[in-house]
Amino acid sequence: MELPIRLSKSSREPIYHQIENQLKALIAGGQLPEGAPLPSIRSLSKDLETSVITIRRAYQNLEYQGFIRTSQGKGTFVAEIEDALKQQVKVSEVYQTIENAVDTALSYDYTIDQIKEIFTEVMESHTRKDDNS
Amino acid sequence: MNGIMEISNLEKGLDSFHLGPINLTLEPGTITALVGNNGSGKSTILKLIMNLVKPDKGNIKVLNKFVHGPDEGWKTTVSYQPQPIIGWNAFSGRTLKKFIAPYYPNWDEHLFEEMVKRFDISLDKKFIHLSPGSQQKLCLALTLPKNTPLLLLDEPTTFMDIPAKQVFLDMIVAWMERGDRAIVMTSHQSSDIMKLADYLCVLKRGEWVGTYEKEALNNMFKRYWLSDTLPEERIPGELLRTNNQIISNNPDDTEAYFHNQHIKSSSQARLDLEEIITLLVE
Repeated sequence: MELPIRLSKSSREPIYHQIENQLKALIAGGQLPEGAPLPSIRSLSKDLETSVITIRRAYQNLEYQGFIRTSQGKGTFVAEIEDALKQQVKVSEVYQTIENAVDTALSYDYTIDQIKEIFTEVMESHTRKDDNS
Repeated sequence: MNGIMEISNLEKGLDSFHLGPINLTLEPGTITALVGNNGSGKSTILKLIMNLVKPDKGNIKVLNKFVHGPDEGWKTTVSYQPQPIIGWNAFSGRTLKKFIAPYYPNWDEHLFEEMVKRFDISLDKKFIHLSPGSQQKLCLALTLPKNTPLLLLDEPTTFMDIPAKQVFLDMIVAWMERGDRAIVMTSHQSSDIMKLADYLCVLKRGEWVGTYEKEALNNMFKRYWLSDTLPEERIPGELLRTNNQIISNNPDDTEAYFHNQHIKSSSQARLDLEEIITLLVE
């Protein structure tokens, strides 16, 4: 089973953390529902071209935070998680995405006011699209 | 916990070539790739593990038994796919299997049959009449089912086509799931190393550069693109520079320097594994 996980070479975020966060997003977004099996550590390390040590670290963190559970001899599965936790993941992912966009703009020497302007423009064009549809 | 294999202070001289000293411990569940240029000593290490070559110094233990001692009991706990295979030409795959299988207590006939089927291997042709790719597939089908705790693969995929390489990767992944095992492999196919290796044991003309966990290796170097021209002076960690781009072997120091000097990098990225290996062995 291939998971839609894409690792970034240019991100400062460690690889295990990228995997951890993307799996959280897949679980919170419902693409990986409760009870869904996750690939084995060896098989995911092959797909993502990482070591098993990295995948094990991501899985251990996810298990510790209650997103997944491992059952001896059967494998790893998506755990039952509360809606509050799902919401929290979604909110923090949106925050992170916007923060990244702001970082990009700052690296091009835009001022905060200019970034706000761009943001407003983008929001307005979305609103127009919604009105038209 | 005892490892599957322990290599301690291993050294071997062959004419003008000197290998080692090398230290290497294999934990169960891990795959280690030996990487280095041609003639860097990768295959020699596998031969030393198999006791086909005697070391000058140091020792090797497989499951806590010395391989260079008089007791050869350890041999059924290791499977080895050499490159090239010598002495098989006159025999068919079927005959070779009859020679090999009884020697290994955990021989998995089912896995053998599955591999013959997936690789589409002819068991009735003499080995010499098989194509190089089919010879490699047959060798692998006669090696994995031995189900030994330690598996040594010397260039297992050189002659395989793309679909066969995919089958090979799947087979290795499935094989590793089935127990506390370890693999040591050499390969010039970078995809084998990227998809399978957890640790890279890097060799430079016989000298052991180090053994690195794959992600640690990925974090060793970084490439930066600067918005302005580079300063004249040497930047901390600087390894290579071209135009407004530098490769650093100490990203922490380089970034601290950029910060102090108010230098902005427009972009930064980890290097590809192939680039990293090249930097380490040249």
